[in-house]
Amino acid sequence: MFGFLNKVGDYTRDAVGAAKYITQGLGVTFDHLRRRPVTVQYPYEKLIPSERYRGRIHYEFDKCIACEVCVRVCPINLPVVDWVMNKATKKKELRNYSIDFGVCIFCGNCVEYCPTNCLSMTEEYELAAYDRHSLNYDNVALGRLPTSVTSDPAVFALKELAYLPKGVMDPHGVSPTAPRAGRLPAQVIAAEASEPS
Amino acid sequence: MTVASSTQLVCFVILSSTLVLGSLAVVLLPNIVYSAFLLAGVFLSVAGLYLLLNASFVAAAQVLVYVGAVNVLILFAIMLVNKKENLAPIPGMALRRLLSGAVCAGLLGLLIRVAFTTPWALPGPTPVGEDATIRIGEHLFSDYLLPFELASVLLLMSMIGAIVLARRDVFSTDIITGEPADQVLIEKERSPLLLEPTDSAPLRSSP
Amino acid sequence: MLSNTVVTEGLPSMGLDLQSSFIEALGGLGLGPGLARLLWLPLPMLLVLVGAVVGVLVNVWLERKISAAAQQRIGPEYAGALGLLQPMADGLKLLFKEDIIPARADGLLFTLGPVLVLVPVILSWLVVPFGQNLLISNVGVGIFLWIALSSIQPIGLLMSGYASNNKYSLLGGLRAAAQSISYEIPLALAVLAIVMMSNSLSTVDIVNQQTGAGILSWNIWRQPIGFVIFWICALAECERLPFDLPEAEEELVAGYQTEYAGMKFALFYLGSYINLVLSALLVSVLYLGGWGFPVPVEWLAGLMGQSVDAPLVQLITGAVGIVMTILKAYLLVFFAILLRWTVPRVRIDQLLDLGWKFLLPIALVNLLITAALKLAFPSVFGG
Repeated sequence: MFGFLNKVGDYTRDAVGAAKYITQGLGVTFDHLRRRPVTVQYPYEKLIPSERYRGRIHYEFDKCIACEVCVRVCPINLPVVDWVMNKATKKKELRNYSIDFGVCIFCGNCVEYCPTNCLSMTEEYELAAYDRHSLNYDNVALGRLPTSVTSDPAVFALKELAYLPKGVMDPHGVSPTAPRAGRLPAQVIAAEASEPS
Repeated sequence: MTVASSTQLVCFVILSSTLVLGSLAVVLLPNIVYSAFLLAGVFLSVAGLYLLLNASFVAAAQVLVYVGAVNVLILFAIMLVNKKENLAPIPGMALRRLLSGAVCAGLLGLLIRVAFTTPWALPGPTPVGEDATIRIGEHLFSDYLLPFELASVLLLMSMIGAIVLARRDVFSTDIITGEPADQVLIEKERSPLLLEPTDSAPLRSSP
Repeated sequence: MLSNTVVTEGLPSMGLDLQSSFIEALGGLGLGPGLARLLWLPLPMLLVLVGAVVGVLVNVWLERKISAAAQQRIGPEYAGALGLLQPMADGLKLLFKEDIIPARADGLLFTLGPVLVLVPVILSWLVVPFGQNLLISNVGVGIFLWIALSSIQPIGLLMSGYASNNKYSLLGGLRAAAQSISYEIPLALAVLAIVMMSNSLSTVDIVNQQTGAGILSWNIWRQPIGFVIFWICALAECERLPFDLPEAEEELVAGYQTEYAGMKFALFYLGSYINLVLSALLVSVLYLGGWGFPVPVEWLAGLMGQSVDAPLVQLITGAVGIVMTILKAYLLVFFAILLRWTVPRVRIDQLLDLGWKFLLPIALVNLLITAALKLAFPSVFGG
C-alpha cells in the first residue's frame, strides 16, 4: 500500500520537476525573443575581419629566397616552390610558387616561419570558386592584394562584437572611430609606466 | 421529388455501390495491402449509410472504432510482416473455390430470402436525431448492460493475453559477461578519456 | 451529409444567425426555403476553407518569424513587407514543382495517401464554432466527429509510407500511425471529461457552458490537468516538434514524406499546419471559452445601457467572438512554436511511455475526479 503511494509520490515529483524545467526552458526561449537579431545581411553588409584574421595568404615573389621553410613547417607540405640552381651565380633561382587553398587549413605556420616575411595573412575569405583547381593560386594570384571591406562602397562594413564600444551590442550605426571596449596592450603598458609604483 | 430526397438517393446509390464493390474487391484482390485499404473504404461507406439513417453517433463510432482502430491494426500487422513470397499452389484449388463460392452463394440467397420475406415496417420508426446519443447511453447501462460488460471482459482478456505473449523473460545479468545488466540503459560505463593526475603518475612533468 | 446537418432555426435566436437571414433575404426574392438553403450550404464551407488556408499562410509566416526571433535571426524579409508573402511564395514554388512518382512506387496509393491525410483535417473544421451560429454545422456529435475523423489520418500516413517503397517512408508511416493511436486515447479521455461537464458533445454547447462569468467560467480552471493532457496530445497528433518522430530527419530522412515532392508534399505540409490551427482552435473552444470575451459581453452591454438583442450589439458581439476565437488559437500556436524551440525531440520509446504510462492513467484519474466533482458540486461542474 505504502509502496504504491511512494511510487505515486515519485511520479508526481517527476512530473512537477519536468514541468518546472520546461517552464524554465520556455523562459529562456522567450527571453531570446526580446533580443535584437545578430544577422549580418551578408552581400550588403560584411563584418570587418579582426586584425589577426587568418584569411587567404599573400605572397611577395621578390622577397622569397626559395628556402622551402614554408614547405617544411606546413602540416601537409602544401606550398610548391619551383626553383632551379643557377650554376653560374651559385644561387637559387625561383620560377614559380603556389599554394592550393582547396587543401590549405590556414594554420599560419608558413607565415610564422618565413625568414624574409614574404608570406602574410590577409583578411580575404571569399574564396568560393566553380572549379576546385582554380583554388590553386600561383605566385601572381598570391601576390594580389585583397580588397578591404571598409573601402568597398557597395558594402556596409560592420564592426565585430569585440570591437564595439562598451555596452553596445548592435554594430549598426556605430561610428568607425568609436573606441573599442577595454584597452589595447600598448595602452596598458603606457598606463603602468606612468603610474608611480 | 425534393432536392433533399434526391440527394439522399444519389448518396445511397453511391455508398451502396462502393460498399458492394469494395467488399468484393477486399475478398478477391490478390494484393493483401490493397484489400486492407479497401476494407477502410468499406467501413467508411458503412459509416456513410449510418449517416443517411440519421445515426450520426453510430457513424462516428463506426469510423473511430473500425477505421481508426481495427483497420489501422490490420494494416500494422500486414506491414510489420510484409514479406513478399509466392504462395505455394494448393492441389484442387478449383474445387475449393467452387465449394466456397457455393457456400457464399447459398448464404447470399438465404439473406435475400430473409430480406424479402420479413414484413418491414415502412416507413420505419421516426429518427430521434441528436437525442440518439443519450438513448444509446441509457440502453447501454440498462437493458444491454450484460453484453456491454461481457464485451469489456472479452477485451480485458485479450489484453492480458497480449501482455503475456509480448512479455519476454528479463535477464537480470548479462549472459556473456555475467555482470548485472542495467535494464534501463544498455550502455556500459565508458572509461574516462581524461585521467585525473595522481601523485605517482603525473600527467605532465612539472618544469 | 445533407440529412445530418442540423437546422439551426430551432435554437434560441441568440447572436448572429446569418443562415436564416440569408434564407429570408432570398425568400424575399421569390426563392423557396429549400433552394435558398441549397444556395447557402456551400458558402460557409467555402469561407471556412479559405479561412483555413489563410490561417495556414499566417501560421507559416508566424512560425518562420518567431523561430527567427527565438534564434536572434531576422527571418523572411524580402517577399512582401516583413516577408508576409513568403508563405505564398513557398506555396507557389511547391505548386510549380515537378510532380514526381518514384519508379517502383505504387502510383495509386502514393497519390491517395496525402489526400487521405488532408481531407479528414479539413472536414473537422465542420464543427469549429466562431460564434453561436457562426459554424458550418452544429452537428450533435460535434467534438466526437473530430475525434473520429482524426483517426482516419493514420491510414493515409500508412498508405503513403507503404506506397513510397522506401524503408524510411515505411518506418515513418508506422511511427506516425503508432503515435496517432497512442495519443488518441488520452485525448479522447480529456475531451470526455469536458463533455461530461457540459452534458453535450456539441461544440456550441461546450462553449455556452463556459459563458456566464467571463474568464472565470472557462474550463481551464475546472480542468487544468485535462488542458495539459489535451495540449500535449494535440501536439503529438499534429506531429509538432517535441513529438515529430515520424519526420525526424536525423533518423528517417523525412519519414513518410521522403519521396514526396511538389503539390503532394504541399498537401502534407498544408495538412499538418491546418491540423495545428484546428487543434489550437479546439483547445480554445474546449478550455478557453471559445468565442467568449474575458469579461461577459452581457455585462458590458448592460454597462453601456444597450440591449444584447440590438442588431448593432449583436454584430459587434459576433465580430468580437470571431476575433477572440482566432486570438486565443494563435496565442496557442505561438506557445507551440515557443515549445518547438525549447523542448528537444523525445525518443520513440519515451514517446510511447509518455502516452501509455503517464498520460493515459492521468487522463483516467482526471475523468474519475471530474465525475466525482460533478456529483458533489453539480452547480460548478455542470449538473
